[in-house]
Amino acid sequence: MSEKDRCAHRLALLGDVEFSTTDREVIASEIAEMERILTELEEFAQDTPWVSLQAQPIEKTLDHD
Amino acid sequence: MISDFLEADLTDLSWLISTRELSSTEVVTAALERLGRLEPKLNAFITVLDEQARAAAKTADDEIAHGRHRGPLHGIPITIKDMFATSGVRTTGASKILLDWVPNFDAHIVERLDAAGAILIGKTNLDEFGHGGTSTLSHFGPVHNPWNTERIAGGSSGGSAAAVAARIGPLSYGTETGSSVRRPASYCGIVGFKPTFGIISRHGSFRGAWSQDHVGIFARSVKDVALGLDATAGYDSRDPSSVQQNSPTYASHLDGNVKGLRLAVPRRFLEGTESAVKEAFETALKALAEAGCVIDDLDIPELSYAAMTSMITSSAESAGINRRWFRERHQDFVPHVARGLAVGMTITASEYLTVQRARHRIREALHEAYKKTDLIVSPTTPRVAPPISEGVKGNGDDTRHASNNHSNLLRFPSMLGLPGCSLPCGISPDQMPIGMQLIGAWFSDQTVLNAGLAYQSLSDSHRLKPPIEQ
Repeated sequence: MSEKDRCAHRLALLGDVEFSTTDREVIASEIAEMERILTELEEFAQDTPWVSLQAQPIEKTLDHD
Repeated sequence: MISDFLEADLTDLSWLISTRELSSTEVVTAALERLGRLEPKLNAFITVLDEQARAAAKTADDEIAHGRHRGPLHGIPITIKDMFATSGVRTTGASKILLDWVPNFDAHIVERLDAAGAILIGKTNLDEFGHGGTSTLSHFGPVHNPWNTERIAGGSSGGSAAAVAARIGPLSYGTETGSSVRRPASYCGIVGFKPTFGIISRHGSFRGAWSQDHVGIFARSVKDVALGLDATAGYDSRDPSSVQQNSPTYASHLDGNVKGLRLAVPRRFLEGTESAVKEAFETALKALAEAGCVIDDLDIPELSYAAMTSMITSSAESAGINRRWFRERHQDFVPHVARGLAVGMTITASEYLTVQRARHRIREALHEAYKKTDLIVSPTTPRVAPPISEGVKGNGDDTRHASNNHSNLLRFPSMLGLPGCSLPCGISPDQMPIGMQLIGAWFSDQTVLNAGLAYQSLSDSHRLKPPIEQ
């Protein structure tokens, strides 16, 4: 899929939300930027088996003394 | 006389009020008068609680006169970012969408501050729902920096930072998802502290990104920050990330002895830092070394991916949080924020999870790093506050590539939930404040505060006053 097609596919996810032509151009440029970032991060994360979801187990007690 | 006691920090004001040398009414009245004089220059507030604050101050004075002193915050004028719900008082998130929303409940910190007897005098301006690093992306217009009103205050908690720097109350509360406490603290020349994820409940605060949001504290001294932390930390079942903890006692455990404390400098990320900032930072390091800290360089290459991992994470999560409003009222968001949400709306679940794998890899690298050091230290920002004309473009210094850009250092603490503190450490040739940040391992909040206290005992930077109405 070409970069243009991928961008159109993503913009379709916005559904009925309308933006001006100028705004759509900015959004498309941001999406292209994000796709480059995602490619870099996918490579970086390739050998990592786990995801990080930051949430504190509630049974932990922090002792201040 | 009025300006004299507004110059006092929370610790001194508290003593004066508790011994009835000053009344809360006098202090609150002076703070409100100062707010009224400076607000046309700063635009730091969205809502001012004049009558309510004066009435609460009178109640505080009556209680104290009858021997019912509630603690260090009793009768003290404070401010909070307009991200926190306040029962009976409009809560906007700096958004047109909630222009007239009046909640019927208080956020956790508002409940705690009320119980402590603090007097809320105003709700501060911010980037819309915390989406920004400049405090220019507000429906209510940009916040101006008290050191130079042509410069940004930083964001997203810029109104809080500007208020404390301008001596409109000694304490304020904000939120941080990326760097929204430490960055404005640095730009405004005050202390900004963000505790470990889960230490302060976020109940009743608008969400920026669930897994990165924190409540943070602004003051002029580390001791005041610790008092503000004691008043608001603690378990709250309404925040699923809240940590079980005993009554917090950070202030009473403050200890400025830093002999043998290991500090690490991640130098690869300091490329591109302004020379005045670098110079102030190196001078601060020398002072800490003389106080007994052991300072070394530490390379953590995985941090090169921190800024973009944090940005994609918050972009996807904020799209999830604002999905309904985006679909129904996207034209009511600040345009820059609406465009950011649109991009976030297009991130798929598998892409989000890929980014969380990257986040895990960075987390593991930091686990290893904190076996070798107690604190990671750096300039908070690579340059002083930029002009407002530049700030309105968005987040300022953030990078979007794997790189040695400094914004990785700004972004990793919130992304990983680490405690961090920005402290004033100098002044630039153009008279703008410079900040240094201390970042500790998970739950080493006390160590961060202790090191901050040690530094403030060696430096006068936190006593410098912005030139606004001197």
